[in-house]
Amino acid sequence: MTDLILSGVSKMFGNTRAVEPTDLTFAKGQLTALLGPSGCGKTTLLRMIAGLENPTRCQIKLGDDDISDLPAHKRKFGMVFQSFALFPHYTVRENVAYSLIIEGLSKQTALEKAESLLANVQLNGFGDRGVGELSGGQRQRVASARALAQEPQVFLLDEPMSALDAKLREDMQVELRLLQQRLGITTIVVTHDQREAMTMADTIVVMSNGRVEQVAPPQEIYHRPTNAFVADFIGKANFFDGLYRSGGVMIGSQALEAPANFAPDSPVRLAIRPESACLATEPGQNRIPAVVGFVRDLGPVREYHLTTDIGPIIVEYAAGSGEQKLTAGDKTLVHLPAEALRIYPRTAA
Amino acid sequence: MTVTHDTDVAADSPVKATPGLTRKGALYGVLSALMVVFCVVPFILVIVISFGRKVEGAAWVWGFTFENYQRFFVGTLWPDEVTFLYLQQLGYSFYFAIIASVLAVLTALPFTLLLTRLKRSTQAVWLVIILSSLSMSEVFIVMGWDILLSNNSGLPKLFQVTGATQWLKDVGWFQTLRDIGLANPRNVKFKPSEFATILTMSYLVWPYAVILLYPALSRLDPSLSEAARTMGASRWTVTRTVTLPSIRLPLMGTTLLLFVFLLGSYVTISVFATPDKQTTAVAIYSNIRGSNLNAPFGSAQAVILLISASVCLYFGHLLNRKAEAR
Repeated sequence: MTDLILSGVSKMFGNTRAVEPTDLTFAKGQLTALLGPSGCGKTTLLRMIAGLENPTRCQIKLGDDDISDLPAHKRKFGMVFQSFALFPHYTVRENVAYSLIIEGLSKQTALEKAESLLANVQLNGFGDRGVGELSGGQRQRVASARALAQEPQVFLLDEPMSALDAKLREDMQVELRLLQQRLGITTIVVTHDQREAMTMADTIVVMSNGRVEQVAPPQEIYHRPTNAFVADFIGKANFFDGLYRSGGVMIGSQALEAPANFAPDSPVRLAIRPESACLATEPGQNRIPAVVGFVRDLGPVREYHLTTDIGPIIVEYAAGSGEQKLTAGDKTLVHLPAEALRIYPRTAA
Repeated sequence: MTVTHDTDVAADSPVKATPGLTRKGALYGVLSALMVVFCVVPFILVIVISFGRKVEGAAWVWGFTFENYQRFFVGTLWPDEVTFLYLQQLGYSFYFAIIASVLAVLTALPFTLLLTRLKRSTQAVWLVIILSSLSMSEVFIVMGWDILLSNNSGLPKLFQVTGATQWLKDVGWFQTLRDIGLANPRNVKFKPSEFATILTMSYLVWPYAVILLYPALSRLDPSLSEAARTMGASRWTVTRTVTLPSIRLPLMGTTLLLFVFLLGSYVTISVFATPDKQTTAVAIYSNIRGSNLNAPFGSAQAVILLISASVCLYFGHLLNRKAEAR
């Protein structure tokens, strides 16, 4: 297996640019998640990789081989579709054996191999069933087994969990990740669920409006988002708009220390994760008076929704962290540590 | 307050419901009577008349004889002599209807598949055009094809004028056309012929084929064929192994429906089929309204045609069930 390299891949639908010219390298044996909101171009990008969509401009290389002009059926990248796309007129075993029969294996051999592939995804004994007799999770496993049957060099998954309920989705994320690690196959997953991406991916590619916003490992994406969009899309964040003034940011009349390198009076946006902010009792640098508006206890975490002069702020504590217990209407101070503040340029838009 | 009000209404409702129910019952009664008068009675009449007797010089009289059915299956001279003329006509009914319906479905299928891939607005325009073509009567369409295929003003003339006839002669294909009855010694000729009959019959039902296939094809999940493509299947393999099996039920249903529709085709056969290849539908007409004036025998033919169509539909239904169970 080798790296999959995209150079200048772009796609226009009429006058609309679905994917801006994009350069990406998908490292061999790694799982990369294409993450972004609906309509950001992530599925279009995946379909171009699969050969199901013709790029407007591109070069796609698998190692040293240029596969840009190779049709989908010659690329043979295993793909799991959002709807799973299982053939309703075939049994589960026949579905899994499909690519093997196309490859030229005898039907008998293909069906036998399909049975062992089904065992790989814990579906022993399901071979004779119709597709309609399977649950969502079982369909997902059959779709994965079918896509992997041809031993593809690249495994593509388009929103593979979106049809599953929340609990099953969590289980399948782990299961799929373990399968991918066991096979060591280069895998690209399209998802709009940041939790799914964080669980499964070695690398996350965050996309917005057809553009790649950031490419990094999950923890880096979360803790060091390169722009306000990524900070907002991945996890939760408090945002404040202000002007940069020598080592700090003025938000209305409130000055916050936030080290960065901007021209004086540049419009900037500050971001801080709810778990990085905290409640305080003593006044000090970056400590702002606040009033508790609402306390949201979710069990593992407790959120304080605060009203301040610079705007609403959410502060989050893990259960049992021993923070001061406040109720709605209490007055307090909120501390926004300078090292936890992320500062981004603010455009007019 | 609300609860009290609801209770009052509930208490009143049985008294008020009675006239409503009576009106509903009366409506059902009238509708059932209309169904019986306009659908069942004529149908029963045809069956009853099929057991009647023709009277020379008059029309027919009530009776109970199997003569008409015997005549259909083995001829009037049975047991001295057996003739299968009417069975042969039934055979031609099936022959033309099967080929024309299959041809219509086979040609409508790729068209409808392409249609479903067009923009919604373009699809709507096409569907309106196809639907409006259904308003044209069989007579009108057959007249158009009659002119198009006529020896003096239609395609044969065009063949002659453009030199296509001479070219066919030069390459040696003209003799082949003569052998299958599509040419006379001088030029190509398309009627009367099986070719013209089947072509026109297919044309007649082609819009129906598109309309019947459209819903199933527009619901066809494109990711099925895309999944097959990513697994190494060529376009033809995808069509053969995924697309066609996925739509086999609507395909069979459409073919059956068109087949039954074409079994009763009359004008096209009268105009384009050779006299030795007339069908049961034409024979029924000539017995009931035409020169023979033998309503009992015509009715017997109609009943046999109806039973044949029902048997075909039943077998079609069995096949569908088998396919669904799969």
